[in-house]
Amino acid sequence: MKDYAGVALTTPVSFGYARQSPRGAAWFIGSTLRQLLAESGLGPDDIDGLAVSSFSLGADSAITLTQHLQLSPRWIEQMPYGGASGILALRRAARAIQAGDAEIIACIGGDGAAHRSFEATAANFSNFTIDASFPYGGGGPNAAFAMITQRYMDDFGARREDFGAIPVAQRYNANHYPAALLGHKTLTMEQYLAARPIAAPLHLLDCVMPCAGGEGFLMMSEERARSLGLDWCRILAADELHNAHRDDDIQLRGGWTEYADRLWNRAALGPTEIDMLQTYDDYPVISMLQMEDLGFCGKGEAPGWVRDTDLRFDGSGPQTRKLPHNTSGGQLSVGQAGAAAGYLGVVESLRQLTGSAGANQVAQARHAMISGFGMINYDRGLCSAAAILGRSER
Amino acid sequence: MSTTPTMQSRLKLNRPSLRRLARPPKQRTPLGTAFNAANLPVALALQHCRDCGSVQYPPRELCRQCLGDALVWRPTSGSGLLVSRIELHHSLWEYFKRRLTEKPWPVASVRLDCGVIAFAHLALETFGSSSPAILAADTPVQVFTHTDCSLNAVMIAVAAETPIASRSQRHAIAAGLGLLEPAIKPEGI
Repeated sequence: MKDYAGVALTTPVSFGYARQSPRGAAWFIGSTLRQLLAESGLGPDDIDGLAVSSFSLGADSAITLTQHLQLSPRWIEQMPYGGASGILALRRAARAIQAGDAEIIACIGGDGAAHRSFEATAANFSNFTIDASFPYGGGGPNAAFAMITQRYMDDFGARREDFGAIPVAQRYNANHYPAALLGHKTLTMEQYLAARPIAAPLHLLDCVMPCAGGEGFLMMSEERARSLGLDWCRILAADELHNAHRDDDIQLRGGWTEYADRLWNRAALGPTEIDMLQTYDDYPVISMLQMEDLGFCGKGEAPGWVRDTDLRFDGSGPQTRKLPHNTSGGQLSVGQAGAAAGYLGVVESLRQLTGSAGANQVAQARHAMISGFGMINYDRGLCSAAAILGRSER
Repeated sequence: MSTTPTMQSRLKLNRPSLRRLARPPKQRTPLGTAFNAANLPVALALQHCRDCGSVQYPPRELCRQCLGDALVWRPTSGSGLLVSRIELHHSLWEYFKRRLTEKPWPVASVRLDCGVIAFAHLALETFGSSSPAILAADTPVQVFTHTDCSLNAVMIAVAAETPIASRSQRHAIAAGLGLLEPAIKPEGI
């Protein structure tokens, strides 16, 4: 596979997180774009590529948005890949820039959260969902993830407090990230364990809170970023694999297992050289699968690994092994803004690597690993993606 | 979204939570409707590929093994193993929300011997158990379908030795789960 030389990721923007909003997806996507332009000093006609992800566009699409927002891109992508959208947008856009198909690409995930809209999304998610999963209790994604969590507990002896280490550490990170919707509250292990059951074995603090918001970034050539005076970072390696291990009875591993080694080789790095890890944390068990499959620990070892690793952004925990994880609080504390949640890890890594994170800045951050996971069509998430980003040597 | 008072009050009155009767999800795709029809006369019918013999679920347009266009509905054995099981305390659907006020709603994921994974309402009483967490993974189970009060065939998982040969036995289990009656809002609307 060709490398991603010469491609710059720049201008991280997180916009307008809200628990509920009467605004539509176009408002969140367009407002994120407005902020991307403001922060980069570019005008709408400088954007000649657009990649968009959203669950709440309704009858709209990436192409109808071009008229809504009055853009004239010569490269366009709609990425309906849920939690893998951000990394897939990044991969597609990087190739378009290398090939010269576009010069400046805006990658944006945005979703509204109208009253009762989550219910409609969950009930109509896919044909398999309509016929074979939603009728069984109407639990939405909670049900499939509870199944996975229960089987993970059976097979590897994981306990609730093992899962709790992830949301508790992430909440500490969110306490230092003002945009996190739950960042004003602290969270202890006792509070985590005392939460009410939602889909046993999942309890309230295992589940993300659906919300509205937008996440976006710009991609362009390194020369262009340099001439615009923007801070950027590079893609050291990135890969994806979908519907992997399709004959497994239940999802205890994802597509990452098939390309993790290649990813480390291409980046010429190992897990100990990663300064922060951003996993897709719609439920703690899914973060654990990513840690295992990407090589931070062996299969079934994540409960012990998480116990012995300080996941806080500032390394203030008691453990000696440090790995800042989901440094803005992840979706579990920031909120899951639909498809924007698939961009959250990329945008947060970009802020960290360009030194613009603010109170939750990781010291001396050079390399970030981001992992994406998405689309529970029936009983498992189909998309897997991962990327390693590096700080640019300007 | 309209802002006229009439439409606002109409939307408000149309909320599922304000209806007297709530039923399980009615919506199915055309393939789901075919599943309903195929399951009316038998305990369990699934799509079989006439070319390679593999069994399909959830319902599909083409064979998942050979992409062949020769799927036929055939009676299928419902025996399998429990892959996982959960207990819903929260639901997005009004019918289940009302049932959940009485007790949590157990759901199973089952690997049928024919090789497919099926979600099913879990009839805990047939296991002599009150909580799905007590059931071990790989517990032998049987799955059958019954028509619920939204007139859709739904999967029901019971303990392996449970007698389900006759229609009345299966009906009693489905009735015991409350699937044959809508959930009524007791205090009225």
